[in-house]
Amino acid sequence: MNNNQPIRKSLQIGVVFGIIIVFMVLIGFHIIAATLISKAFGIAVARGKIPEVRFMLYLHILFGLWMGWSASGKNINRSRSLLQGLVSGLSTGVVVALFDLLMTFLIQSGTDVRSYLPEFSFDRMEYFLLGLGQNGIFAHLAIYTFTGIAGSLFAAFIRSSAVKQFSETLKSSYEEKSELIKSKLPPFAIKIATYGFYALLLAILLILPTRWGSYWNFVIGLVGIYVIAGIGLNIIVGLSGQLMLGYAAFFAMGAYSVALVNSPHPHNLLWGFWPGIAVGIITSILAAVILGLPIMRLRGDYLAIVTLGFGEIIRILLKSDVLTSLTGGPRGIHDIRNPAFFGSPFSSDVNYVYLIFAGIAITVFLFNRLQNSRTGRAWLAIKEDTLAAQATGVNLQRYKLLALCIGAAFAGLAGGIFAARNNFTGPNDHSLMVSINTLSIIIVGGVNSIPGIILGAFALKGLPEILREIENYRLLIFGALLIVMMLVRPNGLWPSSRPLFEKSSQPPVDDSEKETRGGNHA
Amino acid sequence: MNSVKKTKPLLKRRNLYQLARPIFGIIFLAIILWRLYIVFVMKQQYGSDFWIRLIISGLIIGGVYSLIAIGYTLVYGILLMINFAHGEVMMIGTFAGYFIFEAANAITVPTAANPEINIANAYPAVTILIAFIVGMFIAAATGFFLEKIAYRPLRKAPRLIPLISAIGASIFLQNAAQILFSPQTRDYDNPSLMARGTGLDLLIGGSTIKVPYTGIFTFILSILLMVGLYLLVQKTRLGKSMRAVAMDKPTASLMGIDVDRTISSTFIISGALAGAAGVMWGIHNGLVYYFVGFIPGIKAFTAAVLGGIGNIPGAMLGGMFLGLVESVGPTALDISYQLKDVIAFVILIVILIFRPSGILGEVLAEEKV
Repeated sequence: MNNNQPIRKSLQIGVVFGIIIVFMVLIGFHIIAATLISKAFGIAVARGKIPEVRFMLYLHILFGLWMGWSASGKNINRSRSLLQGLVSGLSTGVVVALFDLLMTFLIQSGTDVRSYLPEFSFDRMEYFLLGLGQNGIFAHLAIYTFTGIAGSLFAAFIRSSAVKQFSETLKSSYEEKSELIKSKLPPFAIKIATYGFYALLLAILLILPTRWGSYWNFVIGLVGIYVIAGIGLNIIVGLSGQLMLGYAAFFAMGAYSVALVNSPHPHNLLWGFWPGIAVGIITSILAAVILGLPIMRLRGDYLAIVTLGFGEIIRILLKSDVLTSLTGGPRGIHDIRNPAFFGSPFSSDVNYVYLIFAGIAITVFLFNRLQNSRTGRAWLAIKEDTLAAQATGVNLQRYKLLALCIGAAFAGLAGGIFAARNNFTGPNDHSLMVSINTLSIIIVGGVNSIPGIILGAFALKGLPEILREIENYRLLIFGALLIVMMLVRPNGLWPSSRPLFEKSSQPPVDDSEKETRGGNHA
Repeated sequence: MNSVKKTKPLLKRRNLYQLARPIFGIIFLAIILWRLYIVFVMKQQYGSDFWIRLIISGLIIGGVYSLIAIGYTLVYGILLMINFAHGEVMMIGTFAGYFIFEAANAITVPTAANPEINIANAYPAVTILIAFIVGMFIAAATGFFLEKIAYRPLRKAPRLIPLISAIGASIFLQNAAQILFSPQTRDYDNPSLMARGTGLDLLIGGSTIKVPYTGIFTFILSILLMVGLYLLVQKTRLGKSMRAVAMDKPTASLMGIDVDRTISSTFIISGALAGAAGVMWGIHNGLVYYFVGFIPGIKAFTAAVLGGIGNIPGAMLGGMFLGLVESVGPTALDISYQLKDVIAFVILIVILIFRPSGILGEVLAEEKV
């Protein structure tokens, strides 16, 4: 029983990998993956064209190695991992070969596969078979068997004791060296170096937007808007612990305020951008109070669902014909005027990037001040243990509502900038996906960690814009990434450093500190 | 905090928060009464047959909502998590039924009388039965693997983590279906026995009301499935272990119940019900596309909350109630039909504000909220 367990496991892994490969072919993703590989080799592939056959071979080999690696588990016994690699490789090969057989049969029998599976076609299948026709089936079997064995042997080699010792000595010698450098330098030098680093970063941030060109400015601007929104949501979710899924509603408040105040239709107010932003922030805060007051008692999932409902209500109202005369209805609001800074109107996207950077700077500053204030500690206390916080005299409703309002204000700011930058806003800009995206950014990046949120915004909003090839598969990958992140790194890409800090510096335990301790995991 | 002065102001500051709920409730009730007054007292433009028609269509949709809501309630009762991807499980069931019907329409079985006849029209009952079995099976398998891959490793994690994972699974399944089957809307090709537009003519109040066969079938089947589920949960060994695990996982495992296995079977059962609901949705509404599960999913969750989450009869009742309100509501309140979805969400918010434990609230509900 105990002996058979690893073999069964590697059989399962093999079958799972086989199914993943089959799924990839069914959605046509193998073409995209091969295109990316060929890009890595420096060979550009025209849009909609199929890359060279050898890149498909590389893809097969990469997949086989990965499968063999994960099939070998934590095993360091070489003959054992040979067996595991063989089993998993064979099972993957068999799954893929069965799929090949079925598909070639369907194509030969003249079934119209494309009307049901639009991403699937004869030449794509032929490409998957490495251009070998029916012989490709045997090629698949052979490739997966050998790469499975190779992968698991490689894994066993990496995990063997000799390699482990080597890497450990490397690590310890590196740590010794860095300790040595730190102790030799005077403390003010390190301080100066950090300030110098920040100054350099600032200079780069100011110069880069003028050099990049409009495409990069567009991407960075989008990421920046989501950073502002993410930090705002983090105040609600990360600091005060209220799970919120209707954040897009506040985003919409800001966007629509700027749009209505500063567009020729439907009211022709044309007050300018800055009053619009102010109106947007105030509207968002009002909405937060109206929503927040009655639902203060709710927690956890229920709060999430209520806020989700609130967001959807706002979106449906904006989309319906009921409010067309007031908010432009389903077609949205066009021709939003550009902002003007001291009389000179924004002419290029560079100005918008500066505006967004300024917004991020304000947001980050406020977030840091709030996090370390009495209010921030009250929020953390509520999040960690509501009952204990209430018993120590924290006014629950007041602080929860405050968090909601501040978070909503940031959403209003982000939404206003978003609408002004696009010169347009409509109900579809504020769908549930905006809320989910923003929440995912903080969870994937790391709750309560500013670098984490910036990293998360880059990963979730910036990367898909840059990797245009995967455009159609963007949301699919996004969904899979969310699951994988939660399984592998539930604390985010760049977790908040607070628990580590506390461990290393050991602050004196007194009563005022007690409520902030105990880490701040999600 | 500042307890030096002990004066008693007329309206303490804290009271603002306590007053918010009643004020909200009074405003809400006033609006509802005002709209009802306009429609039923001042205008009176619809006869009773019109209302009966609305009630019938509400009950039909309500049956489908109930089936999906049971899935939410079962999972929430055991794991205390919202299975956000449940609507997508239903969508997969709808697609499975669609492909069975397509295959049955494509294969001809020539008989002496009609050489062109296909399986769907030669054996309609068998085709529908197979569609339901396959739809339920595939949806159940989806639910099973969903739990195994996306939820089981996170069972001990903080509650935000499985929720995000569930959202990820929902997005993944939706987009997988979109890319696999293209974003186009496809027509459900029912066998001629169940063709849309045909129905039973009922004579009520001097006018005939046509009740579609698909609707009758959907309603009866959903009631049968609910009764079956109720018996399963109350009378069988599996049901007993499910209830035990929902109550207290560690104690249940000490009593010799395999908790993992019970949770897996919960997901299988809820997936199968969602699959059946999906095929019904396809047969009755006639459309299938990748987004078909999202709105019914959210509404069914509303229904589950409405009835008291974790409570199976509550989910059934909540689903029926939601279907009725959604069907009758826009006319009864004289608001635009576009705002139909708003009604469901407003009910959700109102229920959660005033009675978080739902209509048939559970004792445990307060703690779980």
